[in-house]
Amino acid sequence: MHRRGVGAGAIAKKKLAEMSKQLDMFKTNLEEFASKHKQEIRKNPEFRVQFQDMCATIGVDPLASGKGFWSEMLGVGDFYYELGVQIIEVCLALKHRNGGLITLEELHQQVLKGRGKFAQDVSQDDLIRAIKKLKALGTGFGIIPVGGTYLIQSVPAELNMDHTVVLQLAEKNGYVTVSEIKASLKWETERARQVLEHLLKEGLAWLDLQAPGEAHYWLPALFTDLYSQEITAEEAREALP
Amino acid sequence: MAMSFEWPWQYRFPPFFTLQPNVDTRQKQLAAWCSLVLSFCRLHKQSSMTVMEAQESPLFNNVKLQRSKGHLFLLPDSSLKYLWRKAEGRQQTEGKLPVESIQIVLEELRKKGNLEWLDKSKSSFLIMWRRPEEWGKLIYQWVSRSGQNNSVFTLYELTNGEDTEDEEFHGLDEATLLRALQALQQEHKAEIITVSDGRGVKFF
Repeated sequence: MHRRGVGAGAIAKKKLAEMSKQLDMFKTNLEEFASKHKQEIRKNPEFRVQFQDMCATIGVDPLASGKGFWSEMLGVGDFYYELGVQIIEVCLALKHRNGGLITLEELHQQVLKGRGKFAQDVSQDDLIRAIKKLKALGTGFGIIPVGGTYLIQSVPAELNMDHTVVLQLAEKNGYVTVSEIKASLKWETERARQVLEHLLKEGLAWLDLQAPGEAHYWLPALFTDLYSQEITAEEAREALP
Repeated sequence: MAMSFEWPWQYRFPPFFTLQPNVDTRQKQLAAWCSLVLSFCRLHKQSSMTVMEAQESPLFNNVKLQRSKGHLFLLPDSSLKYLWRKAEGRQQTEGKLPVESIQIVLEELRKKGNLEWLDKSKSSFLIMWRRPEEWGKLIYQWVSRSGQNNSVFTLYELTNGEDTEDEEFHGLDEATLLRALQALQQEHKAEIITVSDGRGVKFF
């Protein structure tokens, strides 16, 4: 009778044991590293990204809630928990204006404003991680990629693929029209109209009947009203490096 | 005398000048319009207006409204500015709230107690950035604080006298003042009387 034992099965087991040992070693090293660089992790956003990428490679989630080495030793959990709370505050404060949709840029700006001069620096990457956590907790948060950035959804408005793709189209000019949708997405008029009606209904878009040509649908979330000033092409050329 | 009136973000938002079809959005829009009208009139010390004036006023007409999206630039002085390119052949259409919508805003203000029509045909109105009851309260507080209950004042003394220079109601227009005093009269805190050259008020 042939004994397959010393063959495939045993080798596989051995390999697994080795890998497991390596993984444990890796984890230990990572923990050592983390505690040595605790300050750095809290203070430096770039460092945080790299650290989290390292963790992800070995399947460790430093943001896992509750007890455990990570949240207790590092307080990394606390950092993102607090950030999550701040994000919710900002979104609630601006919801009346943008219907629960905000660009990552504006969210970042507002969060930084709220933290003041002496608080730890917070990057857009930090925001995304915190929001993903919020999402996982089922708070109605969503992340919609648009034109190179993201729209953060903070109210559980029903947004399907059609809605999302129109939002992406709107990002360019801050508004969108039926013609534009038909031209870019090759949709029928009715489909375009339905999406726009839905956005109006959810309070995410406002109607503009005074625009030249046809009705424009504007998204307050995409309407940046920071320091604004009208300049000529000449002035622009002079002002910019 | 425009001074540096700070227009709210909605004023630069093109759809602000279209009455919104969505009920919740419209409520927000009307609230913003009411707020804008009151702050504008307060700053410009405007206590009455005709509907025609309103139609032509920058209040309901943003001639500099932009319908193109600006871009964010980091300037050499490290300031962040949101800029538009002018004259790129793009139509600069103004934002103009149509008169029917102006009427709706005015009706909202009337319902809130900040507006009163001055004629039956609703062509001109009194605009009070503080409701008469609120003015009445302020005036009565001043009277009590300065221990002048049971004193008699001319209307002029109240709004233009030296004693009231530091008070908010100093310089208040007569029409609004009268309504404030009428509100106090209703509460039996004052009585409007005739004095030698006009009207006055006695406080209790």
